[in-house]
Parts: sequence; structure tokens; C-alpha cells
Amino acid sequence: MKRLFALLLALLTAAPAFAQSVVQTENVRAELLADASAIKPGEPFWVGLRQTIRPKWHTYWKNPGDSGLPTEITWKLPEGAKADPIVWPRPHLFDLSGVINYGFKDEATLLVRITPPANASGSFKLAAEANWLVCEDVCIPEDGKFELTLPVTATGAPAPPATRAIFDKARQQVPMQSPWPARYGVVKSGDPTLIVEAKGLKADTIRDVYFFPADWGPVASMAKQTASIGAEGIRIPLKRGDAKANLPADLSGTLVLSEKTADGEVRQAFDVTAKLDPNFVPTSSLAAAGGEQLSLVEALLFALLGGLILNLMPCVFPVLAMKAAAFARLAGHERSAMRRDGVAYTLGVLVSFAAMAAIVIAIRTSVGDVSWGFQFQSPVFSLLIAYLFFVVGLNLSGVFEFSSRFAGVGQGLVARGGTAGAFFTGVLAVIVATPCTAPFMAAALGFALSQPAPQTVAVLLALGLGLALPYLALSLTPALQRLMPRPGPWMDRLRQFLAFPMYASAVWMIWVLTQQTGDDGVIYALGGMILIAFAIWLLKLGSGASAATWLRRGLAAVAVLLAFAAALKLEDGSATAASASGGPAAGVNFDGWERFSRARMNEAVAAGKPVFVDFTAAWCITCLVNERVALETQAVRNGFEQAGVVKLKGDWTNRDPEITSLLKELGRAGVPLYLFWAPGAAQPKILPQVLTESLILSELAALPPAAKR
Amino acid sequence: MSNLVIARRSLLLGSAAVGVLPAVAFADGPDVGKPAPPFTAVDSNGKTWSLADLKGKVVVIETTNDGCPYVRKHYNAKNMQDQQREAAAKGVVWLTSASSAKGEQGYVTAQQANDLTRSWNAAPAAVLLDPQSKIARAYGATVTPHMYIIDANGVLVYKGGIDSIPSSSTSDIPKAKQYVRVALGEVLAGKPVTDSSTRAYGCTLKYPRTSS
Repeated sequence: MKRLFALLLALLTAAPAFAQSVVQTENVRAELLADASAIKPGEPFWVGLRQTIRPKWHTYWKNPGDSGLPTEITWKLPEGAKADPIVWPRPHLFDLSGVINYGFKDEATLLVRITPPANASGSFKLAAEANWLVCEDVCIPEDGKFELTLPVTATGAPAPPATRAIFDKARQQVPMQSPWPARYGVVKSGDPTLIVEAKGLKADTIRDVYFFPADWGPVASMAKQTASIGAEGIRIPLKRGDAKANLPADLSGTLVLSEKTADGEVRQAFDVTAKLDPNFVPTSSLAAAGGEQLSLVEALLFALLGGLILNLMPCVFPVLAMKAAAFARLAGHERSAMRRDGVAYTLGVLVSFAAMAAIVIAIRTSVGDVSWGFQFQSPVFSLLIAYLFFVVGLNLSGVFEFSSRFAGVGQGLVARGGTAGAFFTGVLAVIVATPCTAPFMAAALGFALSQPAPQTVAVLLALGLGLALPYLALSLTPALQRLMPRPGPWMDRLRQFLAFPMYASAVWMIWVLTQQTGDDGVIYALGGMILIAFAIWLLKLGSGASAATWLRRGLAAVAVLLAFAAALKLEDGSATAASASGGPAAGVNFDGWERFSRARMNEAVAAGKPVFVDFTAAWCITCLVNERVALETQAVRNGFEQAGVVKLKGDWTNRDPEITSLLKELGRAGVPLYLFWAPGAAQPKILPQVLTESLILSELAALPPAAKR
Repeated sequence: MSNLVIARRSLLLGSAAVGVLPAVAFADGPDVGKPAPPFTAVDSNGKTWSLADLKGKVVVIETTNDGCPYVRKHYNAKNMQDQQREAAAKGVVWLTSASSAKGEQGYVTAQQANDLTRSWNAAPAAVLLDPQSKIARAYGATVTPHMYIIDANGVLVYKGGIDSIPSSSTSDIPKAKQYVRVALGEVLAGKPVTDSSTRAYGCTLKYPRTSS
């Protein structure tokens, strides 16, 4: 009733410009703004519904997620005028005890383009009714009526600077059309996987990648998303939503990610439309393992089994066999001591594994959950794991032995008595067995790293229990000893046999590597393996202090260094390999720019010209966005040209040393970096790492008139 | 045996690499066409209801939260009560589940639940007290009201919204397609449900805070 009255009042009184444009509800202050203070007939202008939201509360995006409703605006415009759909800022994700919402907090400006008719004259009155749902834990539907009256003039006039600043900020929040093509395919389970072909990105600088589906239905918003970044671009396995219909031909939404730059993190958003790719091969990449999702129970079973198998390894089994024989000889009261022994040993093993779990969790929390997962995307990591599998394979094949001192220590420990002794035997057995267990442990730790803390602990403890179980069983039931195979040549055969799965794993890792780096990865990895094998052979040739031995050792060290140098080469190579394979973001575009060199910059500065230097890289998303929204717009291009600016672009994709040294001088760790030399300036001005068109234009406008020619 | 484990371990490492291991945080609800998740709960009059005991009957589950504007929309307009009565007349068991966690909006004691039923003149077969959100979680409910229909064989045949216009305005109800009413008609006629999975709208279901 009150609202109706207010409306009547508004209709009856001739409202001056901007009247009624603010509505204050309990949870939201909403304001309707225009980016023009006078409009031109027929020429579109923008209005924005700016919501200032009560702290901790949120309003909703066009797809609100699992609950909630998007803000709606209904327009009442003069005849012949047109309002386009809302242009939404990039959304945030809100997790309400597992229910996922997409929306906005603090402040959001919803932009709408209005086109007045060509015959507009006098004044132009916009009326809007908006309703929105605002939620914290509880949800409240709110609404408001807004009205703006703008004079119509022949030329129009921009809004005051403060208002323009609000629009500038709002536009920065609007996702950019994705510069990369995208496609999506359906995996066996029926779930879609999105691939944004942003090739040549650096996995370690990008985190918090999330795809906000534009509509309810095709994608379940409740499912967690874990993106991976590889040679093919960004891959996001999604979960199919509740819509019963087939997946659409185009899957659209907004991809949001954070890029780590020298100045901190920049959040970027891209509107993506992915075509359904009928030829999508889900196993063509890292996600091959995606089909092998293990439940926690399965993972625990495998960990237990893995632990049991550790007992068959040559460093552990003889010890176990010896102990079993000793147990079998005991009788009577010694049996109880033996049981205590077994329990203490088990505890020792479990404590060691718990300590390992604690270290893993500590590492993970210090590095940060999300970014850690991406380390696994690094080609260097894949290569090192391939080397590890290969070396362990060589060891199992009997090409070389790890120092036998370890095993000696192990036997010495087992020989010692007492409950405390048994406990530490368990602790040390874990360490002592390392030469044989390393690959298993690497794999288990790798898995553990990707898991939440309780799972990490559970999996590692299961592995430890598996390792301790035979010993424990023997100490409780010495009769089991009869079932144990005798140590003998079969142990060597088993060990040699186990080398082959190791080699297979190495091959698999190399294949993963090629997915990340392209074909070049094979040559580096296999070359590195030859070098490692060569180094091992050299070291085996002889020992002692002769000059020849030292020479061989030196050579071996060089070979190993070379093998690891391949890893460094790969890190640079990943971007290069991808750029060779094409794609719009694959290379730095020099159109209209000169290549940066320090000499050229100094020369232009000395000549008294304004100089703009853009340091960029093919893998830098923020650089790309800045180019699109600020540096390469028509207005800025014209502005540069009119001011006679010398435009230099430095490509840091492959860590060009000249650029690196300049970055260092300026105290910068990386790109983007924008330098602007006013004519005659002794120092360049460092511009912010997130550029806008208006920022560049105002820099240009501030140039002394002489420079403007 | 051992080589299998090693291969599997490498795969494990691979899955760790892509981080695609399942998130155990929140299980999605069951798919339409699959057996409905079983549950046992006590209603506001102390009676125990078990889905298994209702075999042979068509069951409707409605999540509720009396503080939620969307729940109120359908109760203030008598839409929910009308559909509850229609369902009861056709032998359908309509269970309203108060699934808000204790301390959250929509949590009710048995007495409060009965008072609400009386003041709204509602007619469900029972109001189930679900303060640990067990039923909601089993069905993957995200909002109130979130609606489910289970056929006489215990198969989930509908999940989604009460109707097709997501708004808080009662004036939209006559214009909207009443999904639940239509689906119930189809189920009782032995026909497949046309719109069997729709977008539910409303307030976020108030799960216990500790869960995530």
C-alpha cells in the first residue's frame, strides 16, 4: 500500500533528473545510474543497477546455482526505446553447507544497454521495477522502483566523473568474450568435460579455476570442479546436471580463474561457449585416470594391499623370514613377549606413517591446497617421476644395488630385543625399507597430497598397517610361519619381474609428459634416461680412490646433471611446444608494435618521444586481457598515434634475459609490466598491472602539449 | 597381482595429478528412474515412518521451512494445502519434511510443527522431523520447497520444483505449470512423467553447519 502510494506520488510529481533512483531496503541499497548526463537520439547508452549489499549477504547471478533467484529488471521505456538483457558481472561462488550458490557480495552493478529512439527529444524517462533475492542464511525477496529522467540533446553529454568511475569499475567486472575456442565432450559416465583451448598457459601461475554454467540443467553446480592445465588448454571435468534432456549443442557459461602475477593475484573472467565435440576422446589426456576414480574404501584396500606387498620386497622379506623362523623356535612364556614385540613393531610402523601424513598435511597447508594440485601438472614433475620409476626399475632388474649398509642396519635392529627396541624396529623398518618402497611411497604420497586431511591420514595408515600386518600376524600366531615361502631364488625372480611394471609406469609418465609438452618431451625424457643409465654404469665400474674412478664419478655427475637439465629445458619448452601447435593465444602479437630492446627504448627516450613499453608473455592471461580491453581498443590506438607514442613490446614467453634483467632492475618478478615514459622524464612511470581504456587515455591526456604534436 | 597394484598405483598418481578423485563432501541426490533412497523418521506426533513400509503407495516428499518466503508463497496461496488434499484423496502419502538443522531457520519442535499445520490448515499425511537433514541429504535437496515423487515400486519418478515460475509472488501460481500436480496425475494414470526433473527454486536448505 505504502509502495503504491509512493508510486502514485512519483507519477504525479514531475520528477527531476535522478529522482527515485535510489532504493534502500533492509539488506540492499540499490541505485539506478546512467553513464550519460544527456543522451543523443538513437545513440545507445548504458545504465547500471548498482547493488550495495549488506556485509555477508549475497544477491544472485543469472544462474543462481542450487538455490536462489537472479535479479530481474522490468523496464518501462518511452515508445521506440529498447533495453537489452542484463550484462552480468562475474559471479562468486558461495558454499552454504554444501549447497552451491552463484552470486554477488558487497557490491555489484548490473549493466543494461538502452537504445533511445531516433526521434527522441526533450527528456527521456526510464522507469524500472527490479526484484532481487538477497540471502545470508535466510533469504529475503526485495524489490524497488526506479526512475531516471535524462535530457535529450543533439550531442549528448557524459556522466560526471564519479559516475563514470562506477561504470568503469563495473565494466571491469564483466567477463570478456573468451579469446580461446572451447569444446566439450561426454565421458563414459555421461558427465561433460569442458576444454578451453588456452594453449601454452603456465599451470603454476593459475589457480581457482571454475566454470559457472550459464543455465540450470546441463551441469550440476553442487559438484566440485577440479580443473587441470595442460598442453591442450584448460580441462574441467564437470558433473552432469538434473536436466533430463540431452546435453545441448552449445554449453555456455563463465570461466573464472586467478592468475598469479608479480603484483599479486588477478581474477579474470571469460564468457565461454563450448561446442559439443562428438569426436571427444576422454582418454586422450591426463584424464585417462579420471575413469579410475577410487572411493575411499577402495583406496584404503589398495593401500593395505600395497603395504602387504612391500613385505615381499627384497629389503624387507629376508628380515621378515628370519624373524618368522626365530618366532617359530620360541615357546611358552616367551610367546607373550613375542606378542608384545609384534604389537610394538606395528605401533612403530604406524607412528612413522602417521608422522609422514603429518608432514604431507603440513606441506599442503603451507603451500595451499589448490595450487598444490597444479604442481602435478608440471612437466618437470612428470619427468622426475618418470626418472624415478626408471631408476627403481633398473634397481629391481639388478643393474645396481642401493647401499647394502641399509639392510645391515635393518638386521642389526631386528636382532635387538625389548619392547622399546621392537617399536623402534618398526620406525626404522619404514626408513630402512625405503630403497624398495620408494616408488610405492611416491605414488601413495602423490595420492595423499590430493586428498583432504582425514583421507590422507587414513590412506597412509592403511599402507603402514599392510606393511606391519605379516609381522604382527606371525608374532601372534607363529604357526603361520609354515605357510611362508622360504627365502630363495624366487625372491630375485619376483624382484626382477617387478621391474617391468616399473618400466611400464615410466612409459606411462612419459606419455603424460608428451600430453603436457608435445612431442619434444619424448626426446628429453628418453635422452635423460640414457644419461642416467650411463651414469649408473660408470659408477658401477669400480670404486677406490684412483684417478680413473674420480674421472668416472665426474662423468657420471655430468650425465646426471644433463638429464636434469632436460627438466629445466622442458619448463621453458612447454610454452614453446604449445605455441608451435597454433591457437589464438599461442604467440605474442606484435601488430602495430616494435620489438623491445633496451637500445631502442633508450634511443626513443633520448629523442624526447613518449614511449610505452608492454612486457608480455604468451602464457600471461592478464596481459592478454589488458591488450583486449585497454591497449588495442580503437580509442587507445588512436590516442597512441596522435600523441606519437613509440610502442615497444617485450616478449617474455621464454624468459628473454634482456627483459629479465630490466625486470630485476625495476624490482619486478614478472609480467605484466607496463612502462610509460613521458617525454624528457628521467624515470618511466610504472602503470598498474590491470589496465583500463580510460586509464591509458588519461595518461595520454596528461602528456605535455608539445608531445601531442 | 603385484603388477596390477603398481599399475593401479600409477593411475592413482595420475588421478592425483588431475585431482579428479571424488569429492566426498556432498553426494548428489538420486537420479530419477532409480530406487528412492530409504529413510526412517519420526513425525510430529511421534509416529515412525519408513519408506520401506510405504511400498505399494505413491509417496510425495516436500521439504519445508516455515520462515522461507517461497514456502510461504505456496502456503499463503493455499496451493500447497490444495495439492496435499488432492493427493490424500487419491491415496497418495504426502510427507512434509522439516529438514532445517537445529538453530536454523525452519527448525521446528513437534509442537511447533503441529501448530504450523493447524495455522496453515495443511493436510500432509505427516510432518517428518528431520533436524539432522538426513532425508534432505539422502535426496540431495538444495532448497525449500524441494519436491519428490516416489512411485508404488519405490522408484523416484519426479524431483524438482513445485511449479514452473521461480518467484516469490503468489500471483505467479495460477500462471505456472504445477509440476507436482501434473506428475502425480501421470503416475496415478500409470504413465511416465513428462517433466520428471525440473529446477527447484526457493530458499537454501538449512543443513547443519558442521557439514560441508
